[in-house]
This record gives sequence, C-alpha cells and structure tokens, in this order.
Amino acid sequence: MKKPIEKETRAYMTGNEVVAWAALAAQADIMYGYPITPQNEIMHYWTRLAPQFEREFLQTEDEASAGFTTLGGVMAGRRSFTGTSGPGHMIMQEAMCMAEMMRLPLVSIIQQRGGPSTATVIYSQQESTLACYGGNGEGFRVVYSTCNHQELFDYTIKAFNTAWKHFFPVFVLGDGYQAKMREPVTLYDPEARGVQMIPTKPLLGLPGTPGVDRDPAQLRNTYNTEEELFAVVEDLRKAYEEIVPQVAEYQTYDCDDCEYLIIAHGVVTRTAQEAVKNLRAKGIKAGHFRPVTLRPLAADALLPIACRAKKILVAESALGQVKRMITDGIYGCTTPIETLYKPGEGIYTEEIEAKVLAMAKGE
Amino acid sequence: MPNRIIEAYVGEYASGKSENAVNRALFLASCGHAVTLVDLDLVEPCFCLRPLRETVEKAGVTLLAFATEDTFGLGEAGQTILPAARFALMRQGDIILDIGYGIEGSKILNLLVGAEEDPDLQVILVVNTGRPMTDTAEKIISYAQSLQRVDGILLNNHLAEETTEEFLLQGVKIGEKAAAALHVPIVGVSVAAEILPQCSKVKQLPYEIRPLQRVMPNAFW
Repeated sequence: MKKPIEKETRAYMTGNEVVAWAALAAQADIMYGYPITPQNEIMHYWTRLAPQFEREFLQTEDEASAGFTTLGGVMAGRRSFTGTSGPGHMIMQEAMCMAEMMRLPLVSIIQQRGGPSTATVIYSQQESTLACYGGNGEGFRVVYSTCNHQELFDYTIKAFNTAWKHFFPVFVLGDGYQAKMREPVTLYDPEARGVQMIPTKPLLGLPGTPGVDRDPAQLRNTYNTEEELFAVVEDLRKAYEEIVPQVAEYQTYDCDDCEYLIIAHGVVTRTAQEAVKNLRAKGIKAGHFRPVTLRPLAADALLPIACRAKKILVAESALGQVKRMITDGIYGCTTPIETLYKPGEGIYTEEIEAKVLAMAKGE
Repeated sequence: MPNRIIEAYVGEYASGKSENAVNRALFLASCGHAVTLVDLDLVEPCFCLRPLRETVEKAGVTLLAFATEDTFGLGEAGQTILPAARFALMRQGDIILDIGYGIEGSKILNLLVGAEEDPDLQVILVVNTGRPMTDTAEKIISYAQSLQRVDGILLNNHLAEETTEEFLLQGVKIGEKAAAALHVPIVGVSVAAEILPQCSKVKQLPYEIRPLQRVMPNAFW
C-alpha cells in the first residue's frame, strides 16, 4: 500500500481534511458514507485522495445503508469507516447497535451539528448521548471527544486500532467547529512514530468447513429467548468492563489543589483551559478535568478530584448530556454542581470565568 | 470604464479566497477606489462574508451579501444567489468577487451576467502551499486545469501564526513552477502583515507583496 505521508509535515488544514488524511495514514481501506454537513469534506477529500492510494469509497443511498455497508466492509476484513452528523448519526444508530451486539470494529467520525432534529449545520455538543448510548444499545462503545486538529488526526488513527484490538465500535466525536476551522497540524505516518496498525482480518467467509475444520463464524444479533439474550449481554458487559481501564482517557489542568473544578469536553476544553489560567491569575484556585473518552468515562480518576473541590462547574454546548454521565460517574460525591449550558452555541472563556467568579462569591 | 479592477478569487477549499478578497477590497478602498465586494460562494452560502459587513462597510466598501436576517428560514433548502450579486459586473468601480471553492464553486462564473465578455475580469487562483492538496507544482497545475478559467495565481502560502520566511520562499518557488507551466502570471504574494517586517528576502521578490490583515477569524460562520 502506497504511503500517503512519506515524511512528517506541518500543514494548514480544516478538520475534515485532517480526518481524511488520518484515515489514509491509518491504512483505512474504504469509506462508506452519505453526505451531510458539516462532515462533507471528509468524504470530499477521501474521494479525491482514495484513488491515488488504492483505497475505495462507496456512497450509499442513505445513512442506514452507509452504516450497514461499513459493517459489511468490516466483516470482510477491510479497515472501514464512515462519517456523519446530526440526523445522519441518528439514522446510523441501528448499524452502530449491531456493531455493539456483534462486536464489530466499526469506526465512525461524527461532526456534531445543532439539534434536536435537523436544526443547524453548524456546531453543538448535542450528540454525546447518541454517540455513547444511542439506539437500543447498552453503550458498549468507545467515544473519543477531540478538541483540535492534532487530536482529530491522532484519534482517528487510534480509533482504528482501538476498534480492531477490542472489537467494539469506536467513535471520534468532533463537531462543526472542528470540522470547518483551520489550524496547523502535524501529519505523520503512524509507523514512523512506532505506532503499528493492528492487522485486520475477515470475520466471515473463513477458510475450511464450519463445524469440521473450525468453529462457525456466527455473528448474531437475534436471539430466541430472554435467557439467551441476557447471557449474551452479560458477556458483552464483562468484556466491555475489562477494557475500561485500558481505553478510558482524561486530562487534568491544575486539579491538585483546585477548589473550583471545571468539567468540559471537546472544543470547550480549550476555553476551559484558558479560563483556568485567567482565574488562577486572579487568585481563584480553579482546575479543569477533561474527559477525553466520554465513554467509557474515567470516573475513577474524576471522583477524588470532584470530592476535593468546593464546587463543580460543568460547561457544555448541550443541555446536560455529558453532565448526566458525570453525575452518574461520581455518584456519592456531595460537591455542589453548577452548569453552563449553551446548546448549539460555542462557549467563551469569559463566560466560564464569569460563572466561576460568581460561584466563588457564593452567588 | 477604463482601469477598472475586476477580480474573481477562486481556489481550493480553505485556500484563503475570502481572506484575500476582503483584504483586496479594503486595500483598494483605502486607495480611494469605489469598491464592491461580492459574496458569490454558493458552496457554503450565507456563511462567509456576512459577519464582516460592518468592517467592510465602515471602510467604504459596498458589500453584496445576504444579511443574516435574509437567510433565516432558508435552512439547507437549496442554493440561493443574491440577485444583485448576479448582476454585479454592471456596477461602477472596482469589483472583487469571492467565489466558492473547487470546480463547483468556479462554475458560479456561468451565472455572473457579463462574465464571459468583460475585458477587465481576472480570475485569480488563490494557492497555499501549506495545504497538502496544493503543496507541489504538479498538484497546483492539475487543480488549476480542473477549473474552467484561471488568469493568474495569488500565492497565499502560510501556516497561520507558524509561517516563516523560509516557508514563504519555498512556496514561491513552487508557485513559480506552476505559473510557468500554466502560462499565467503570479499576480501577488500575500504575507501576514505582522510578519512582513521580518521578511526582507520576500520584500525583494519581483512580485506585488500584499500585506494581509487576518479578518476571517472574526467571520467564522
């Protein structure tokens, strides 16, 4: 396979382009998709680049088909991915739940747009619940919430390896801001940095006779009895819980002595980090906890920090979707939680600062 | 209407078309010209120049772009063109057109009344060699050939705040190779105004140097 990136380069790009290049660098074989803003340029750039590097693309008739054909690609042992947003993300949930049930290494790049429904094509953090717990699934998924172009590149590559290592569906949860904004990024070949791409393998159509030479490769999502289903879901739960310590990721900023803990994910971490610096300069002991994986949430790491704080602020561009995951994750912690919700709108540093200052004054 | 400056800025996605079109309009207005700036981006309609209305109008530039309230209710229901923009070439004075990206974007010239016959119209390809799709002469040539018309190249090589003079000069070499193969001139080299004072070699280049004020970060959607 021809290498798309021969030597490490600094480039100026939009987030969607970064994702297309990352998928190339990760040796993805094929993208399946259906157009929707703001993820379109992932497809645009993939379709322009794929033929140059012997990769493929299939545009399907809708997102349901895009999701299922991606699963088909995966079953055939191809490193496959899709990208979508908002209403498309909703339609794709059936395939995403099938991936949970059948343990299929599906990789989806989600560029969140405003909701509910069609709403805006611009930005939000309103697809966290959907990415983490969508459809009739039980959340047996890994969801990376990125905050900049470098992370879009790094985590798109990582998503393929997490998927093919653990056999759960993996999401890179970006948003319309990240999709469209422009900033410099370092493009690299993962192998040149010592990151080996995990080899893929067909999950169906294996050689030999099933039952004679090998066990049947039976991928099921349908069961006859409650007991049978219960046992299967229990196995999934145990398998998922085993990987939690390996895949849960988070970052902390000035959390050691922090009294006012700001929790934010995705692009909002950028403003939260700035707010911490500014608040510290004003003598307020602020800190910031950023879940990198929304699912699984690094709750064990967050709990002691949350308990030590005087007050917690959860800031998100949604009406508490991640806050609900936080309160569930730190159950038992009695630190009061306040919120700064701006569904479908960006959150500014000054807004977080003003909110924390008010909290510190006891307002 | 002699000596009119009529320029249409085309190019790759995120190549800097709007940034350069706005800067050009502001520069021409500062020289005392009557300037009309036209948002002809149908690929991403209503998003680009709209938030800059106040900035450009304060500088005396006439802006032909949808106002925010005009776009309410349109959602994604098809593409819209401002009628005044379609007939922009019939206006007096200089006209700067900001065109949507790629092949589909450049086709908008078909909708611009008088574009084919206008003797002053220059279609300028904006190129940033810091972008992987246009980082070699071969890629720029092939991209330019996919567009229906290119009359000149504006080099807008940069890596945002990480741009160095060395990077600029390397990009100029790539641009020169592409321009020669395409038989079109390099109409200018754009350089962020804040780094220009440190770029003595760039200033000696035989091209028009266009100091660029970054206005687009304020326009983001």
